[in-house]
Amino acid sequence: MSRPTPSIPWAVLLRSFAIQGSWNYRTMLGSGFAFALLPVLREAYREDDAGLREAIGRHSDLFNSHPYLAPMALGAVAALERDRAASQLIERFKAAVRGPLGALGDRLVWAAWLPATLLLALVLYSAGVAPWAAAVAFLLVYNVGHLGLRIWGFRLGLKVRNLLGEPLKNAGLVRLGDLAAAAATFLLGVLVPLLLLSGIVSGARLLWGFAILGALSMALGAYHGAVTRKAAVVLLCFATFAILGYGLGR
Amino acid sequence: MGADLAIAVLLGGIVALDGTSFGQFMISRPFIAGTLTGAAIGSPMEGAAVGAVLEMFQLCVLPVGGARFPEAGPAAVVATLAAGAAPGAGGLALACVLGLVWAEVCGASVIYLRLLNGRMVPDPAAGPVTPQKVMRAQFAALALDFLRGALLVSVGAVVGILVTPRFALAWPLDEPWTLGLLAAGAAAPLGALLRTLGGLGRWRAVFTYGVVIGCIAVIAR
Repeated sequence: MSRPTPSIPWAVLLRSFAIQGSWNYRTMLGSGFAFALLPVLREAYREDDAGLREAIGRHSDLFNSHPYLAPMALGAVAALERDRAASQLIERFKAAVRGPLGALGDRLVWAAWLPATLLLALVLYSAGVAPWAAAVAFLLVYNVGHLGLRIWGFRLGLKVRNLLGEPLKNAGLVRLGDLAAAAATFLLGVLVPLLLLSGIVSGARLLWGFAILGALSMALGAYHGAVTRKAAVVLLCFATFAILGYGLGR
Repeated sequence: MGADLAIAVLLGGIVALDGTSFGQFMISRPFIAGTLTGAAIGSPMEGAAVGAVLEMFQLCVLPVGGARFPEAGPAAVVATLAAGAAPGAGGLALACVLGLVWAEVCGASVIYLRLLNGRMVPDPAAGPVTPQKVMRAQFAALALDFLRGALLVSVGAVVGILVTPRFALAWPLDEPWTLGLLAAGAAAPLGALLRTLGGLGRWRAVFTYGVVIGCIAVIAR
């Protein structure tokens, strides 16, 4: 077999940014996975058109993962396909990693890293930093972690192929997620007085009644969880329309 | 106004793509989308304020898998246009409410997008899958998502720009009262976020340190 072109795996990594593009309820990331893997498949099956179609068909089937950790699976599968590993091995590997990569990514990124970096931006903004500077700070800090995770995962997948379990366990991603969650909780603590005592927008001193109401609604949110978000949206809409109705009737 | 609207529609398409289909670099977060739109249409303070309020409502929403969740990126673009058209406390309150409602509409549209994607992507059980079929489906789905975001911002902007200024004039509350109302509303989802992060049971000391630092910052100001 000829030596693979070095740039091709990086084409897979670039395409992985669009892996969610065709997300659907039948194959989830499946079609996006096949799209990202095409450069490697085209090279591996250069002189085997039937094999290429068969491989694309296999990879278009059901697959799911966190989008930032999908490159890890892509890297491993790219390496296996380059070596023309048995299709059953590749299928078994994909089925085995899709749950853990999804759960790990959700816990590390959506439930810890993203809130931590966004809270940093909100704290900066409410402390008087220019909005554009707070926004740039968020985009920089967040995407260092985001891109780092994608590139690290892809390289790890390429290197260890289907033996991801042990290196993934030793990588300390769960510990990183815990650290990010602690940082997010600290920043949330900083934000609450800034929001309730000083006002998020202009630094105008708020009325104590609203500060107490805010503290109570935060306690309700902490006790009942995400369901209070919907209740808060409905109540805020109702209050706004009632106040507007009062203003219109004056 | 025409140029502002065109920029906002383009931004709507881009933030929809970022949040749903391409990259997830998080320019689709409401604080970023609001700040960007505000800077683009000449209302930077209104954009950041609306974006910050919508962000506090969105922080506890985890965009996991195929779950249905409000999509606040294009909604923040719409809300910023509304706040830019009606500056002042009334404009801010109405723009935030419009953004929260529009985020639900945007979220529902993602479900339809994904159903359409399901029809477009090749089905391996229905016959051979060629590279061309995969590429076509991927690019068509990306284009559709961009158009979805642009359309949502176009329709939302008409509502925001035409309706908000008319009603904002009748808003009876001054700025501190309006901010108080929005802060009290946003505190509940922030509480829900605290629970998502592990709750007070796990991070009591860390959260308390944060509150102390926040209080010192308020006093120092």
